[in-house]
Amino acid sequence: MQKRAIQSVLAVLLVAGMATSGALAQQSGGNAEAARGKTSMCIGCHGIPGYRTAYPEVYQVPKIAGQQPAYIVNALKAYQSGQRSHPSMRGIAAGLTEQDMADLAAYYGGGGQQ
Amino acid sequence: MRRVLIVTAAAVLGFTAQAVSARGNAEAGKGKATVCAACHGADGAKPIAPEQPILSGQYPDYLAKALNDYKSGKRNNPIMKGFAGQLSSQDIEDLAAWFSSQPAMLSTVHR
Repeated sequence: MQKRAIQSVLAVLLVAGMATSGALAQQSGGNAEAARGKTSMCIGCHGIPGYRTAYPEVYQVPKIAGQQPAYIVNALKAYQSGQRSHPSMRGIAAGLTEQDMADLAAYYGGGGQQ
Repeated sequence: MRRVLIVTAAAVLGFTAQAVSARGNAEAGKGKATVCAACHGADGAKPIAPEQPILSGQYPDYLAKALNDYKSGKRNNPIMKGFAGQLSSQDIEDLAAWFSSQPAMLSTVHR
């Protein structure tokens, strides 16, 4: 009886541990599939070859497909906090959760290197 | 008529000068890029850490803007400020020309 109880506890702990590590892995790695519905605001500028911003300075918006995911997450966080200043990017990043950022980073990080 | 010609010539010359300075000199940039390679990898294609960006094939005016912003402190990164702070405007244009001319690891692709 006691042995069975111990087995049950171990099983619960094992499942909980797997669920936790799975959630963490997804959070840090992001989910490229989940990003498909979140790229609509990105495409208008980053999806057009040679597209230039008109405000506040004129330059070609960076290519982001194929960029390192961790760099993309850091860039989005810096825009959200205001550490990096670009009015459009700040506005867009303000509406993103950490999971959104991780998903977008996974999506763009996996692109362009086929 | 003469005035029109002068204005046109001035406009063409001005445009040409701007295009050249905006482009920078990739060969000159190559010689200045050895410091960058330590972190961003040879040709800017293989950074040593995940949070460092790939530079090869990026647009030159974006690269120049990033370096100018690091130099001015508008973009706040202690490591990049140390490097960018040493660069002249010509250095920045040359580096931007060099990295943008390398085989593109980056794209505007949306799958």
